[in-house]
Parts: sequence; structure tokens; C-alpha cells
Amino acid sequence: MRKLILLTIVLLIGFVSFAQTVTVVAVAKPAATVFRSIAEQTGMNFVYSADLLEEVTVTVNVKDKPLKQALDLMFRNTDIEYKIKGKNIILKHKPDEVQKVKKEQPVVGKLSMTDSLSMSKLLAEVTVVSRLESPVIETPEIGAKKMTANEIINTPVLFGESDVIKTLLIQPGISEGQEGLSGMNVHGGNADENLYMLDNVLLYQVNHFGGLFSAFNVEAIRYIDFFKSSIPAKYDGRLSSYLDVRTKNGSHDGHHGSGRLGLTSGAFNISGSIGRKTTYMVALRRSWFDVLTIPTLAIINAANDEWTNRFNYAFMDLNGKVTHRFSNRATGFVSVYYGNDLLKTGSADKENQIQYGWIDNLKYDFNWGNLVAQVGCNYRFNSDLTAEFTAAYTRYFSSMKYDCLTKIVERDSTQKIHEINKTNNNINDWIFRGDFDWSLNDDNRIRFGGNYILHSFLPSRSDRNYTIGSTSFISRDLTWRYLANEANIYAEDDWHLSDRFMMNVGLHLSLFNIDGKTDFGFAPRLSVSYRPVENWAVKAAYARTNQYVHQLSQTYLSLPSDQWVPVTRGFKPETADKVSVGAYWSSDDRVFGASVEGYYKTMRNLVDYRDEYYLQSPIEMWNAQLCSGNGTAKGIDFKVEKVFGKLTGHIAYSLAWSDRIFPDKNGGHPFPARFDNRHTIKVLLNWNVSKKVSLNAAWVGHSGNRFTLLPQVWEMPDFDNGYDDEASLKTPINNYQLPFYHRLDLSCMLKNHRGYWTFGLFNAYCHMNTVAIRRTYDRNNNPKFQKVKLFPIIPSISYTWQF
Amino acid sequence: MAILKYILPILLATVLTGCYEDFNPDVDTKPVLCMNSLITVGEPIYVYVSRSWLFTDKQAAGNHQVTDAKVTVIVNGNVVDADYLPQEGDKIYIIAESRTYGTATAEVQVPFAAPIGKVNLTPTVTDIWKGLHYEMLADITFDLNFELDVVDHPGYDNYYNLSYEKNNPDSNDAKFTLNRLDVKLEPIFKEHIDVLESIMVDEESYDFLYFSDQQFAGKAYTLHLNFTDNYYSVSSRYYDESLLDCGITFCLSTISRSYYNWAVYKWNVTEGIIGDLAEVGLAESKWGYSNVSTGAGVVAAKSETQYTVSLKEFLKQFF
Repeated sequence: MRKLILLTIVLLIGFVSFAQTVTVVAVAKPAATVFRSIAEQTGMNFVYSADLLEEVTVTVNVKDKPLKQALDLMFRNTDIEYKIKGKNIILKHKPDEVQKVKKEQPVVGKLSMTDSLSMSKLLAEVTVVSRLESPVIETPEIGAKKMTANEIINTPVLFGESDVIKTLLIQPGISEGQEGLSGMNVHGGNADENLYMLDNVLLYQVNHFGGLFSAFNVEAIRYIDFFKSSIPAKYDGRLSSYLDVRTKNGSHDGHHGSGRLGLTSGAFNISGSIGRKTTYMVALRRSWFDVLTIPTLAIINAANDEWTNRFNYAFMDLNGKVTHRFSNRATGFVSVYYGNDLLKTGSADKENQIQYGWIDNLKYDFNWGNLVAQVGCNYRFNSDLTAEFTAAYTRYFSSMKYDCLTKIVERDSTQKIHEINKTNNNINDWIFRGDFDWSLNDDNRIRFGGNYILHSFLPSRSDRNYTIGSTSFISRDLTWRYLANEANIYAEDDWHLSDRFMMNVGLHLSLFNIDGKTDFGFAPRLSVSYRPVENWAVKAAYARTNQYVHQLSQTYLSLPSDQWVPVTRGFKPETADKVSVGAYWSSDDRVFGASVEGYYKTMRNLVDYRDEYYLQSPIEMWNAQLCSGNGTAKGIDFKVEKVFGKLTGHIAYSLAWSDRIFPDKNGGHPFPARFDNRHTIKVLLNWNVSKKVSLNAAWVGHSGNRFTLLPQVWEMPDFDNGYDDEASLKTPINNYQLPFYHRLDLSCMLKNHRGYWTFGLFNAYCHMNTVAIRRTYDRNNNPKFQKVKLFPIIPSISYTWQF
Repeated sequence: MAILKYILPILLATVLTGCYEDFNPDVDTKPVLCMNSLITVGEPIYVYVSRSWLFTDKQAAGNHQVTDAKVTVIVNGNVVDADYLPQEGDKIYIIAESRTYGTATAEVQVPFAAPIGKVNLTPTVTDIWKGLHYEMLADITFDLNFELDVVDHPGYDNYYNLSYEKNNPDSNDAKFTLNRLDVKLEPIFKEHIDVLESIMVDEESYDFLYFSDQQFAGKAYTLHLNFTDNYYSVSSRYYDESLLDCGITFCLSTISRSYYNWAVYKWNVTEGIIGDLAEVGLAESKWGYSNVSTGAGVVAAKSETQYTVSLKEFLKQFF
């Protein structure tokens, strides 16, 4: 273990700044095609207005030249200039030049840096871009991260499925929750305190298959913005973090796409243009376990004379987007996301084998997912003011159904008993929002906007229908549908007070009306940055956040039994106040960076299941099992990273505390949060060995999760038949810390001319980590404690075919 | 696809092989006093005092008696003697003190018995064989469908437990076999199960006859009790009506909340899915339900009502 850590540190210290080289051979090829080739080689993104490159072709011939040199060559003697910001290459017309780029003219260029201009101003048409384009040292944000699809694909994860959420888990200050699952606990918060937005619209269900996979198909993603400390005023509604996922637009240079086949799922995506102004993108992913299970089960059932088994599981997600450019000022889009998990199990007795007696036909159906449909418009009023208008419908749905038909076959008659139990939990939101981006002057960039959401919540409602012969018993629990009105307005200003002093100040006001009561949220935001010298920045931030809905889960799995519920009468909105400070360093060439960030967060009105909640009858109101309390979290995150070169990655260390206090839990005494991981080390390495081979490694080590260990037992009476049993003695919640957790994940990407292979090893050195402690007995009936370990080494492979 | 032939066994083998490792956790465990009692109207109170022990302490598992405990029973604010017999509505407070293990206290109110109202029986013969040589020679298979009204005592949150036993003729010449009650046919016995549990749990495996008045507070509720494939066999040369003296006695106990909670807890740990998930770290651990101040022990109370249904008239028609 120590050797491994040392080896990792040595590797990181041995970072060598390789200049990024490219090979481009093109004769009169569309510029966008050439850019795509460079993007694939370097991981850089090209950002430009669609009309900039209309009918522009490129002739260039460079082999293993530095990227900068290749770009210089391409844009020499043209009216196009480029600027490299972070991992983006931004293209625009040179100022005050009106010359047109002629068809068939070789495109070559020259470098020009325009630091003071914002990204959106650089673009001739209004285009949504990440607010985190600039290097971290040049912004007031703390704890923010932008990632592109390439970075996500290059992070090794379980089963080789590229995963947005699991990739974020490699960042400091984020706990992965239960091993292998997509829980995300940010700075001591709970898993439901993260807001996931897909193209500006919130998603409730972000997991597939119990949390093993996230619902975001990487093939459809352009970039993600993630905020965990200083929260821009635009965002509110969750306490801990905000993930803004932006999907790709279709490409203008023909039809392109890819198909991927992995061990667990397959994916297909295609994008392209329809005419000159319209593009489309479709990405579909579906698991294919059922391709194996259905025929296997058919064989087993054929061999079984007495009954047939039923099992079918599948998840799928679909992203579709059509973008139309009405003019240089206006771009409209229609998009849809549909993610769904379906599980069907059960069994049925074979009727022809049974003459008399009971014949059962059992069906268990689970169905859960999220639908988002939206229409939007990006409009540029002038070079300083742009807007994004969105109307959307999002639906979260979760249903479980138990259907049992029993036939009691007797000599002269057959009696039928039919029992159906159903539970439904769903949310329907109608969302209308407008977001404006106004560059008031070179020093002030103001973002403001508002939204209205009509929520319709149906917390878990159960229907039970029982029919025997001609008699039916129908019952429904007391849960009803809630309508809620939510309105938000916000404004924030990116204010460059001087070359060294920057500030983002904002305010988010919210209103949530439900169940005859109205809650108001006041969420001021402030982050300031001071650069005493060119390569250093110190920052401080304060953010208040409010949360009006929360997810209840009896388990650490993502199951359809999890319920999203609003803060109704008897509960107050959850709120958090967070203060963060940080210091940042960046090397002159921006290749290396280092940061240290500290935070202190208080959380109020958190909602959780009360102790022994299961003793409350399920037919009571859903909130009878709940209680509210408070929490605090504090910690410090250190990070050293290398951003450019053949070898990139980071080492991060976090020192953290997180605890809770609930009057109706743990006897009213404080207790540590389950993921109160005191020490966490994360190492991520991406090594582009050659143009065809890249190696990726991620190592995570942290203090063990907290666990409620029940070491003592007492004699529990049996009032029914007099046989006593043992019961566990209550202890303080999360009283035991599991052993240190550590795991190495590896992946390798091999490219060929048609696509690439991805090989992965989850838990490469097969250290099976303890996830729980259980009590059991050995063969001689001696009682003993055992560590429960879950995931061994898991290899994966996938092939992606690109066209 | 040929490559799948090699990959899938590896994948399946690795994913499905979670494992366990023995160990002894280093935790502080101080035993506490445990107190169990089931208080029944009209019967003396017995309080069983013991102590908790470390799960792996096999010796303590065999002997966890407490020898220096003193028990005090306070009824409606007054200390009572050992010959006290509890009554409906009594508030009973029990204190157990031990110099070694400290003090434990618990409180319970004796519930009011609920009368059993109307009882309807619908017997259905499903198979019969009669011999001709004796006056009473027959094997009869039949179903029994009862409708039994529970009349809830208003003004209280009441909890119930139903039990039953068969009454056999006092002779070797006749035998009555009563099959298990088909719990599946009465939805109220499943009101403690949420939908996730109802989907995950094997219905055939439980026999839970507890329910609350939550759905019929202050009113009457008709229980549907179905016993299928019951059997009566008689072999007597001469007609003897006493051989038909068989039936079923229902016992409806009104039980304290602590009794009901104990039953729901037991169901959850033995049948519920959350207990299984907790064992592999995928859900919160569940400790034993207790209404004793130390967290160890259950002090419960009950009042009983009985009702006997005779099958004599039903069986008489066959002889």
C-alpha cells in the first residue's frame, strides 16, 4: 500500500511537460473536419460561430508539430484569429477586417490574444458556452470544475462505462458514497443535495441499475460545469452542489457519429446537419443484459416442468436535439431526454402440470426514470446582451407493481384470488425560464434571469386491490397529490475591480408555495478573488442555498422505492450557509496548478427517516416516518494538477468533518455523517503514450465510511411461543469507522483508424474494501463478526466505432 | 461475438463474488440491564431481568442472568405488591435496579379488551367419504370461511393480535385437523408492509396476525378468516354426538403499542428486505425495538377476548 502511494507520487513528481503535437494533412477539406481531427488528437475543443467557417476549406500539411505551430500555419493570411483558453480554441474574425475568406483558399493564421473579452463576445452568433472557460486562477470561483466529454471518457470507471458522476468523484471534496454506486456526497452533504441540470432543466433521476451507472450518456455531452463552493446566483434548489450538463449540437460538416458496444450496454449516436442552418443530434444507449437473460431463462423454463421464471432488466436513455439557426442573432432548439429502467420478475406455475391445488402467477414490475422535453431559444440582442429562453417539461416517475393471481383448483370449481399492489411516486414540472447575459462594460458582466416552475408532486401512494371471487377490497393510502408553485429570480455581476481584484456578487430569491404555505428563500452569493502576483490568487466566497424537495431512501441503492418529496406543512425548507476560502497557484505556462480550499458549512432543516421509522404504518402519511435536524461540515482540500501535456492529472488530499444532529435520531445527540471520511487522497493520471494509445489511472484512498455497528445483544422475548431470541442493543448512530478504503482503477484506450478499444480494470489490485460489518455464526455455532466486502477486480472492454 | 464467450464468465465470476472476513471489532461494550414482561389482565406480573452481552461472548449468551436486581411495580402512581392483578386501563411503571448493571425503567398501559361482534361461518365441503358399516364412519374435507367482527374501543389507538386454536373431541374415535389460517386472504394483516417489502417478501413465509385500528378507529371491522382443507375423521360403531364436539376458539387480544412494535420489528428482521440490505452495508442497521430506558427489553400488555365457534351443527348433517 505504501509502495503504491510512493510510486504514484514519484510518477506525479516526474511529470514532464510534453509539448502537444498534431499531425494534419488536408487538401481542400472542410475546416470543421480538420478541427475535429485536431480535437481528437489533442482533446481541445474548437469554439466558433457556425457562419465563420461557411464554405471554408483548409489545405495544410503538418506532421508532429506543436499545436500552436499548426494553428499559426492554418490561420496565417486569413481574417480568422484564434485564442486558446483552457481546453478551448476560440475562433473569431479579426477585428475591423471585412475581407472574406475565399473558397478553396488555404486557411492559415496568426495568433492573437484578447484576454479581456468574454467568451460569448468572441462569438459572432449567440452560443451557450461554459462559464468556466478561463483558468481557475483568472476567475473568482472556488470549487468549480468544467469537464469535457473527452476528460470524462478518459477516466476509468466500473464496467468501463464512462460516467459523469463517477468522474466527478475523483475531484477533491466529493465522497463517492457506497462503493461502486453513483452516490455523490459533496463536502459532507447528502446524496440528494446535488442539482443535476440537463441543458438548463433539472433532472431528478440520474442513475441506472441501482446507481451503478449514471443517466448521462457521455456520447451526448458537450461539457459539464460543476460548482460546489462558490455557487453562482443562477443556481439554487439544492444545498451542496450544482451540475450543469450541456449536450452537443449537431455538427455542420456532414453526418458523424459512433457506435459503442461494451460489456453492459451499447450506444449509438449520430449528428449532422439538415440544410445549412439546422443540425441534429441523437444519442441512444441501452443495456443489453436482457439479450442474455431472456434466452437463458427460456432454456431454463423449458427444462422446468413445474413453473416458469420471469426476469427482464433493461435501462436505456435517449438524447435528441435539433438546433436551428434563424439568424446570427437567434438560435432555437428542441431537445428531449428520456431515461428509463425497467425490471420485471416473477414466476408462474405451469397450469397443465397441476390438476388440483394452488396455481400462482406472480409478477413484479418496476419502472422508473425521467423525461425531459424542452424548447429553447438563444438570442443576441446586441454584442453585449444575450439571452436563453427555455420552456420545458420534466417528469420523474417511479412505479412498483405486485400482481399475484392465484387459482385454487378443486374438483368441481376454481376459485380465483387476485391481488395487485401498486405504488407510484412521480413529479411533473412545467418550467419556464429566461437567462440573460449582459456585458455592461469591460469590467462588469451581469447575469440575471428568472424562472417559474409548476410542480405536481405525488409522493409514494399505494393502492391495494384484492379480489377473491366476486368480492373486492380496495384500499389507497392517505397520500395525495400536491401542486406547488416555485418562482426564482437572480442577478449576479462578474466585476473586475482591477487587474488583480475580481468579484462575483449575486442574489437569488425564491418562493415555494405548497400545501397552503409559502416559503421564501433569500440566497446571497459572494466570491472575491485577489491576485497579489500574476501566478497567484487568493479567494473567498459565501453562499446560502435553499432546498425545497428532497429524496427519501431507505437504502444506499438507487431504487424505485426512493421518493422525491416536497417540504410540506410541518417541515421547513432545507438551507445551508457555506463559507469558503482558497489559494491558487498556476505556472507561467499554465501547465501546472495547485490549490488549497477550505470550507465551513452549516445545514438546517435536513430531513431524514426517524429512528425506527419502520414502526410507523405505511398507510400513514408519507411524512410520518420523517424528522428534521441540522448538520455541519468543514474541511480543507489540497490539489496539485498538471493540465496540459502528454501526461496530465492531479493529486488531491482532503481533510474533512461532517456531522448531524436530529432531535428524533440518536436520542438527540450529534452523530457523524455516514460519509464522514476524515482523510481522502485521490490521484488521477492520463498519459497519452502516442496518438493511438492512452493510459489512464485513478487511485482513491480514504478513511472508512461510518457504520452503525451493533456489538451487543439482549434477550428478546417471544410473546407468541415462548422461544426467546437475541436482539441488537441500540448504539450511537455511525459509531464505528470501517477500515481505510483504497482502490486503483485503470483503463487503456487503443485507437485505430475506425474507432477505439477501451480496456478497463476496476479495482486493479483487487483490494476488496469493507462496506459493512455483519454478525454471523460459524459451523460450530460460535458467534462472530465479519467484514463484508463487495467488489473484487472487474475487467471491462468496449469498442467504439466512429464514422 | 466470440470474445464474449471468454469475457462473460470472468465478469460474472468477479461481480458475484463478494466475500467475508472474520474479525473482532475494537469497541467499548458496557452491559446494560434488560427487562422483559408481558402483562395480562387478571394475571400476576412477571418481570424477567437479565443483561446485555457482547455478541461474540458465547458464555454470556448461555448465562446472562442478573442476580442482584430489585424490581418495583408502580400502578397508577402507587407501589403494588406481588399479588397485584392488573386491570384494563392501568398505567404500570416498572423499575429494575441492579448494583452491577444500573437501572432500567419502562411504562405501559393495559389496553381495553375489544369485544368480538358478529361471527359468521360458511363451511364448504370439498371431499367426503362415508362408510356404511358403522353409524359414524367418515372422512370429511372442508373449508371454513369466517367473518368475524372486531369492535374497536373508541378514544384509543388500539392494536390487536388474533390467535386461534382448534377444539378436538375428547375421544380417539374422532379427529379434527385444522389447517393454517390463510393470512393472504385478509389484507389488514399486511398493513404494516410497505410496497417495496410486499414485492420482495415471500408471502408464504409469514404468519403475521397483528393489526391496528388505524383503518377503522372507533368502528367495527370484519376479519375474513379462511381455513382451507380442514379434515374431520370419525370411526364409531354407534352414533355419539360428543364425537362432533369440535370447533375453533378465536382469541382477540388488544395489545399495547410496545407489543405491536415488537411484532413489527420481529417481522422486519426475519422477513423484511431492509434487514438483508443492512447486513451488506446497503441500508442502515436495525437495532432491536425496546421500550425500556436502557434500550434492552420489552414491557408489553394485553387484554383478551375469546369466542368459540362450534362445528357440531355443521358436522351433524352428515350422520
